[in-house]
Amino acid sequence: MGAPALVYVLIVAGWPLAQGIWYSVFDYSLLHPATRHFVGFENYRALWTDESARRSVVTTVEFTVAAVGLEFVFGMALALLLWRDGRFERICLALLLIPVTVTPVAVGLVFRALLAPEFGMIGYYAAEWGLSIPRGFLGDPNTALATIVIIDTWEWTPLMALILLAGLKALPSEMLEAAEVDGANAWQRFRVVIFPMILPAVFLGLVLRTMDAFRVFDIVFATSNGGPADATNVLMFYAVKQGLQFFNVGFAAAVANSMVVFIAIFAVILILLVRRADRSAIAT
Amino acid sequence: MSRRVSIRAIVAQRAALVLALVFFLAPILWLISIAYKPKRDIFSLPPKLLFTPTFSNFDDVFRYFDLARLIESSLVIALGSAALSLLIGVPCAYALARSRARWTVGVAYFFLAIRTVPQVATLIPFYLLMRDIGLLGTWWAVIMLNATLSCAFVVWMMFSYFRSLPREMEQAALTDGCSQFGAFWRIALPLVRPGIIACTLFCIMFAWNDYLIPAFLTRAETRPLSVALLSAFGMLDITWGTLGALAHFSTIPIVLMALLLNRYFVQGLTRGVH
Repeated sequence: MGAPALVYVLIVAGWPLAQGIWYSVFDYSLLHPATRHFVGFENYRALWTDESARRSVVTTVEFTVAAVGLEFVFGMALALLLWRDGRFERICLALLLIPVTVTPVAVGLVFRALLAPEFGMIGYYAAEWGLSIPRGFLGDPNTALATIVIIDTWEWTPLMALILLAGLKALPSEMLEAAEVDGANAWQRFRVVIFPMILPAVFLGLVLRTMDAFRVFDIVFATSNGGPADATNVLMFYAVKQGLQFFNVGFAAAVANSMVVFIAIFAVILILLVRRADRSAIAT
Repeated sequence: MSRRVSIRAIVAQRAALVLALVFFLAPILWLISIAYKPKRDIFSLPPKLLFTPTFSNFDDVFRYFDLARLIESSLVIALGSAALSLLIGVPCAYALARSRARWTVGVAYFFLAIRTVPQVATLIPFYLLMRDIGLLGTWWAVIMLNATLSCAFVVWMMFSYFRSLPREMEQAALTDGCSQFGAFWRIALPLVRPGIIACTLFCIMFAWNDYLIPAFLTRAETRPLSVALLSAFGMLDITWGTLGALAHFSTIPIVLMALLLNRYFVQGLTRGVH
């Protein structure tokens, strides 16, 4: 019974992946298909030697670290606020998860409108408070990436909070009571008792969000379009632009494959985490 | 648990949660509200909270877009991807969960790994493949590529559901003369209904909200709402009010579905490692 799915995935995902590896060792442009020739690892080398490609790698890493970091801090705070199991908390959780379900390109458009320099609401109040940026937060190369980070944080913090909350809810209550009886204050309880015990959930949340943030595309496409001056040109965007707009298929495939390798490293960490969680679930 | 919490602490906690709600919901409420604002009020600054609602933005949506066709495209793509993923994914998950061979867990992790591949890696070669076999621009192309990711998600998630079922009931059915497929269809499947609902919800959500895959694999007549929404931006005659009205159709169905099926939605998010 497992065969159809396995065969399907091997053909429809495996075949294009294999093709992608094949394309990546050619200088292959759809605009001049006749000049296609073998270049070995030249496309991969270009990721480091080409100025815009290297910048894209750096931008992606900066974006990922900043977004996942913020999401973790706010997600942890939200999870602690939602911990008490009451009606109010359950309703809040349901409503807080709405950003996760909204079409990402719609999210991008909303923030684009709110942040617009001349008519956007956020842009307007920022200017009122003396934080005036003539081309808007998304239009200035110095603030564009940070703005995308904040939009991503808005969209995905609730998911991080949910994963951490699942960790909190699985804690044995005797342990917490013992800490309280021992006279530990709230911060000590969190640092010494709670945080170490929800570490598996922490890692799970961080790994999952890192993999997704590394391949961010929709909100970039809908807000800054990679600009201004390539300030938000993340790898996924770079690969799509090179491959499907400039039709530099060989180079785009090399960029995409490099992303696969990086994400695969995180996928292995994820799998190890899930396996450990499985084992402890069986043990208890 | 008998923890005494002071009233002040509860008030502070709830106030913080309300603040968080405002932060996370305000942009969405704004998106909904601009659809009912007259053109001149949308960007009046300072913003106008009181305005006479108008439906002219919705009239514009009907004037500039073939809305029925857009909704049809989104529905076909979402339901088609979900149906295909469940049809091949659920039996596979069951087979993996019930097999005693050592390599089955490895296969399950293979599906989890497939779920993490960035779409662009498969999209570019898939685009060329579809172009060569003449399926570029059809719903089929989108459904096929969507289903690889969704089906991997379904296998992984249902694998964990089936594994947590005790084998005894199926074994009793088998000794009573039930076929292996009968044991799956009549005994195991009804017991994992929550998992099936959660999987369906997620498959529909991925496919409905996705932009990248349909943006490059569909053409004007087959594009879904998400693609139409972004391409409408910057078009002549399309105001932000019209975009807000169009966004109603692309966001509200999924938001409502997630709220109504919240229990399953939360299960999927925490259990499926999506």
